[in-house]
Amino acid sequence: MSRLKLKDGSILKFIKMKKIFGFIIIVIIFASCSSSDSDEAYFDNPELSLHIPTDFPEVNSYVSLNKPTKYGAELGEKLFSDKRFSADNTISCSSCHIQGNAFADHNARAIGIEGRVGLRNAPPLQNLMFLKFFNWDGSRLQLETQPLVPIITHEEMDSSILDVIGKIKDDASYKDLFKKAFGDQEITPDRIYKSIAQFEYTLISANSKYDKVKRKEGQSFTESEAAGYATFQQKCASCHSTELFTDQSFRNIGFPLNTDSNEAGRGRVTGIPSDFMSFRVPSLRNVEYTTPYGSFGQFPTLKSVLDYFDNGVLEAENLDPIFKNNGNRIPLTEQEKENLLAFMKTLSDKDFTGN
Amino acid sequence: METLKKYLLLSAAALTFASCSSDDNSPAANNLTLEFNNTFKDKTIVLGDATSASATTNTSAAGQIHHFSEVKYVISNIRLIKDDGSEVPYNVNDLDKGATVIDQAKTASLSYVLSNVPSATYKQIKFGLGIKTEQNTLDQTRFPKFYAAAGANDTQMMWEWGTGYRFTKVEGFYDADSKVMSIHTGSTIAGTEGAYTQGVNAYRDVTLSLTTNAVVGNKASKIKIKADFDKLLSGKINTITLSTGTGMGDNATPNVHTAAQMVKFVDNLGGNGTNDISGMFSVTSVEN
Repeated sequence: MSRLKLKDGSILKFIKMKKIFGFIIIVIIFASCSSSDSDEAYFDNPELSLHIPTDFPEVNSYVSLNKPTKYGAELGEKLFSDKRFSADNTISCSSCHIQGNAFADHNARAIGIEGRVGLRNAPPLQNLMFLKFFNWDGSRLQLETQPLVPIITHEEMDSSILDVIGKIKDDASYKDLFKKAFGDQEITPDRIYKSIAQFEYTLISANSKYDKVKRKEGQSFTESEAAGYATFQQKCASCHSTELFTDQSFRNIGFPLNTDSNEAGRGRVTGIPSDFMSFRVPSLRNVEYTTPYGSFGQFPTLKSVLDYFDNGVLEAENLDPIFKNNGNRIPLTEQEKENLLAFMKTLSDKDFTGN
Repeated sequence: METLKKYLLLSAAALTFASCSSDDNSPAANNLTLEFNNTFKDKTIVLGDATSASATTNTSAAGQIHHFSEVKYVISNIRLIKDDGSEVPYNVNDLDKGATVIDQAKTASLSYVLSNVPSATYKQIKFGLGIKTEQNTLDQTRFPKFYAAAGANDTQMMWEWGTGYRFTKVEGFYDADSKVMSIHTGSTIAGTEGAYTQGVNAYRDVTLSLTTNAVVGNKASKIKIKADFDKLLSGKINTITLSTGTGMGDNATPNVHTAAQMVKFVDNLGGNGTNDISGMFSVTSVEN
């Protein structure tokens, strides 16, 4: 476009001398060069009407630029499980983001092609529409910018977006889906990122026992769950707040440190000293299914996490004030731990995970 | 008559278009070579592994001896300033044609040839150390050549997690016991263009005055640029002491040095953009 604009200036000199219709001819010549980009309005690909759960936080503002559509999400789901995204065609997004594990997996650190071990624990993918930050360090703010990261990372898929497109471009089922989703069958990097994000936006989990109790759908907490909920509100909810069970803040809570030299927590993104070895507070939804726990899977069980809080966490200059002001620990009795575990299991959404 | 006018108008327009294709009547004369000499002070760097006897060593202001096994950095956004002060951009919007990775291990990469430079007398050069945020997206479709060059196995100038390029990559060893030092820089900035909400911008705009004017158009000219890596630790902005560990202040390996530590290296290498606009770079001579 900038090239056309430049030319307009010199053309104007002619127009002053010549007839208007001469200009019109030139305009027609120019117009014929630009691609027809108005086709997309005329095909049938309805926007999905996603049910937004009551009291959930505001939707990430980038979602409005890429609203999930019927075929966009369908295409995204197909791409999500396509192993040709990896250099040796052995792993797909869904290899580490498994539905039964709330789209996380059971490895301490993610494992890519050829058994290569990544830096961190694969995060669960749920309620992403409502997140302001993605990844444990919040490096991404817009979900559409994330899919490229695992595609090119050496320890993950170790490929490139054009290699991926080269592998899938002659696949008739993709041609059909790209046409249905975007109006023509062209496969572009941007369309891949958008459709995967659209699929991920549809992953909403809000149908656990906790939700049903809250919505008064005929279920109620057991005595232990109710006691756990009370302890949770008293000792956990300042960080695991909102209906997402995370306040989306980044905190250093003195967990055992990942000594991989690539790790600095959110500090490597922002350069703010208080972000050093800080990680996003994880949602507790479906936490039962996402073992092990911690940014690199330090804890095999939820009980071991609670024991760690009770025994005391590591000291750090930027240790979260909630710990710093309480002797670096969250004191919990064995009974409280048992009740908390019972309560956390009420956040399991069997419809979402298919368990 | 009207038809004739139309044809005249069209052919005039066509001529206007033709004139914007490059004027390559005397290509060599309009070449301008940027020759980079990576040094410790005045000594050209010889790379070497941990136990190398031939590697060039340097001692920092803080007294730390060090040498390098790898030195790479990205130059982009090149602009030449004419003697009348006007600026001539060189493919600044096209990383494939206007950006390069300088790699001390590859002699050919040390000379970057600018072609079809408009005939004129130039007094200054500006370039970027790193890549401007709006171009720093690892867009393989838009800049396939640069993407391939930066991503090559023997180059590794990509920062996958930040979906951007590495701007500098220095590997080496420090102190008598040859501890590993690994300094990577790159931008971590994120958000909507013009309204970034997090991260640091590691791109630095460098301005250098030429020792004598470069006259382009008669024969191929050359600007010799020194990149003095003594400045990495003993810079105009920061005096840095390397330390190994996993603490917030430890800075000898990438990322553990955090974006805050990284910026200290960035400012030393490329200046801070305000009171230092040359960083480690200087022009040593111009050949016309």
